[in-house]
Amino acid sequence: MGLLQGASELFPVSSLGHAVLVPSLLHWTFKQSDPSFLPFLVLLHLGTATALLVLYRGQWVAIISGFFTAAIRGQMKTDSERLAMLLLVGTIPAAVLGVFLESRIKSLFASPYVAAGFLVVNGLLMLGFEVVRRRHEKGGSRVEQESQFANAERISFRAAALVGACQALAFLPGISRSGVTIGGGLLAGLRHQEAARFSFLLATPVILGAGLVELPELFKSGVPVLEYVAAAVLSGIAAYASARFLLRYFRSGRLDPYGWYCIGAGLAGLALLHFGLW
Amino acid sequence: MVRSTSLAVGLGVLGIVFIVIAALYAVGVLQILTSTTSGPHYKHAVLFAVLAVASFVAASFARSRTA
Repeated sequence: MGLLQGASELFPVSSLGHAVLVPSLLHWTFKQSDPSFLPFLVLLHLGTATALLVLYRGQWVAIISGFFTAAIRGQMKTDSERLAMLLLVGTIPAAVLGVFLESRIKSLFASPYVAAGFLVVNGLLMLGFEVVRRRHEKGGSRVEQESQFANAERISFRAAALVGACQALAFLPGISRSGVTIGGGLLAGLRHQEAARFSFLLATPVILGAGLVELPELFKSGVPVLEYVAAAVLSGIAAYASARFLLRYFRSGRLDPYGWYCIGAGLAGLALLHFGLW
Repeated sequence: MVRSTSLAVGLGVLGIVFIVIAALYAVGVLQILTSTTSGPHYKHAVLFAVLAVASFVAASFARSRTA
């Protein structure tokens, strides 16, 4: 579960969808009502957030420093200061929607069938983002095409807020947080690699904050802390490797393969569940 | 960013209101829009603390510049 969560959290394929679908298909007996299940998820997410912090440690130092400098000065002068404010603006809608809607939405849609269905929708969204993007690209090699688009620091504040709000779609199991935010970044005119970077930076405070708030659950009795920490380390390693791979892939790669994968996996999941073939 | 003293003051006041709401959620006094009806709600408290920070930052940006 640690490896699965860490890898699927950052790939645009929905970690929640896979976390609902895969245990069901493999007949893993996770009881989501078990009191130790929430701390388990918390630690896995903290592993992912730590991996992202390590990956972008230099940038986060600049962003945090830039945040305080710009906030006190009341003016943005550097790219780091602008990025810090963009991340603040992008985080607020996700945080508001997350606090007030997440548990309600998740409890409504926590079914393998629904997860498989939304996985297909996620795939269609990924393909749709690329269709729209291609209309704005001019000829030339992929590198030349990508060079026509902007860095994350150049995104507008309105677009940052919209991309942040898109994260709320990921409360639906099967819809990928990174997928919709990368797609939103593409629509806002970012290069693929920059859209992925903005998505990962945007995800870090939300994942980290949600994890830290739930941390006291870990100290309750009956939680096998060592096993959970081992899973969190695996989650972090998988997340780090995934992020490195994706950032390299998106230099010239597109969302299409992930879109087709989600459609295939969603349809296969629906078929296996419906016909009881697994 | 629109700069005006009254806007800055308004955002500052809003930030203080958010801090109060965050404190009320943290000590368990406020139970509005929560999944359980008792105890502290740290997620809500953190959210309103973040909103307070955002309000103060916006207030700082809205301050009128004096030469």
